[in-house]
Amino acid sequence: MEYDLQFHYVKQAWPHLMEGLWVTLQLTFAANVIALTLGFGIALLVMSRHWFVRAPFALLIEFFRCTPVLVQVIWFFYCVPILFGVYLDPMPMGILALGLNLACFNAEAYRAAIQAVPREQMDAGVALGFSPVQRVVYIVFPHALRAALPVLITNGITLFQQSALVALVAIGDLMYMGKQVATETYRPIETFTTVALIYFAVSFPVARLAALVERRLDVARV
Amino acid sequence: MWRGFEGIMKIDFSFLSKYHEALLMGLGTTLHLTVICFGFALVLGFALALLRGSKIAPVAWAATLYVEFFRGTPVLVQLFWIFYCLPIFLGTELSNFTSAVVCLSLYGGAIMSESFRSGLKSIGREQYDAAHALGLGPWTRTIYVLLPQAVLRAVPVLLSNGVGLFKESALISAVGMAELMFIGSTISNRTARPVEVFTVIALIYFLVAFPLTRLVAVLERRILRRLAI
Repeated sequence: MEYDLQFHYVKQAWPHLMEGLWVTLQLTFAANVIALTLGFGIALLVMSRHWFVRAPFALLIEFFRCTPVLVQVIWFFYCVPILFGVYLDPMPMGILALGLNLACFNAEAYRAAIQAVPREQMDAGVALGFSPVQRVVYIVFPHALRAALPVLITNGITLFQQSALVALVAIGDLMYMGKQVATETYRPIETFTTVALIYFAVSFPVARLAALVERRLDVARV
Repeated sequence: MWRGFEGIMKIDFSFLSKYHEALLMGLGTTLHLTVICFGFALVLGFALALLRGSKIAPVAWAATLYVEFFRGTPVLVQLFWIFYCLPIFLGTELSNFTSAVVCLSLYGGAIMSESFRSGLKSIGREQYDAAHALGLGPWTRTIYVLLPQAVLRAVPVLLSNGVGLFKESALISAVGMAELMFIGSTISNRTARPVEVFTVIALIYFLVAFPLTRLVAVLERRILRRLAI
């Protein structure tokens, strides 16, 4: 191979890449906030006693889980404005699409965790005179959040990586900036390698954290 | 305020019947790609899982680094890297299809290795001891004792990874390969009817992926019952 690696250009473009990373992190954070709360709501609805409540949300979850994220993002960008006459800026639209996607994955994690909440806990709640809402907020949610935490963190990082595809709808995230720098400098190897390393440098420590939390929970359970 | 009502009224799917051949061709390419990558990823994944358990530390580290790197970076970045950088390193042009296969197989291998690893982990110590007592060599032990058990336990997860690859393959459209998503975008651009086109595209993906995930759930229950764990 006769290729002269020059990271000089990437160094010059570094502020651009960091600007992109900041957008990526904002997207990830906002989508996670939506998904952590909305996901719990969807999990409760999907476990409802009434099939007409359960069915639409079960379908929603399956739909988000069984189609490519790219299709979902493109669908939101092109179809929401036409269908509903809602015109959002690219960024809120990206957050909405990714947030809903993640909410459906988190809902599954919460559901498994809610099912694992011991029956006695609920009985104790009833005995103490908690209202159904109080039982959900003070008993079910803390239990479920704790049990689901490793999966929720893993889902969160997956979304961080998936967020790269908003570059395809021209949101100026890390991937988009990387593409631009690569095109402007004719240095794809250096640029894309650097971009990959930046993504890795963020997601790897968080993945380790998820593994650590999982181990500690296992220990706590024994 | 509710301008959307007009938008909903104008929806008309009938024009898509003209494009059904193109859509089927796209789906064909997507499935073809998925099946090939699934095969490669399975082999690579099993090899990586074994290497990660290797007694030679550098081998184990290298395999772990590989897996963590492919799991820790966006597939889109991997795809761009392979499309734009690999040809420079290799000094030859790769066809779109080859690059796509390389990308999804390398990524899939990393994902599959995790599933194989948890499958291998669940094989009890006594199985190794039994293989040792029977005087089986490492190769025979791997192929006849470990592989069948690891595969059986990992089948549901491996299949859902396959569904995952099917979904990730939509990314390949970003580098201009004519699979389902790319054909969808092209039709949408030509007809200026994104709502109908992308809804149908989403439905096609769903109609393939959803039954597969149901199948995985059924298999999982059966295997769990058979292994009685």
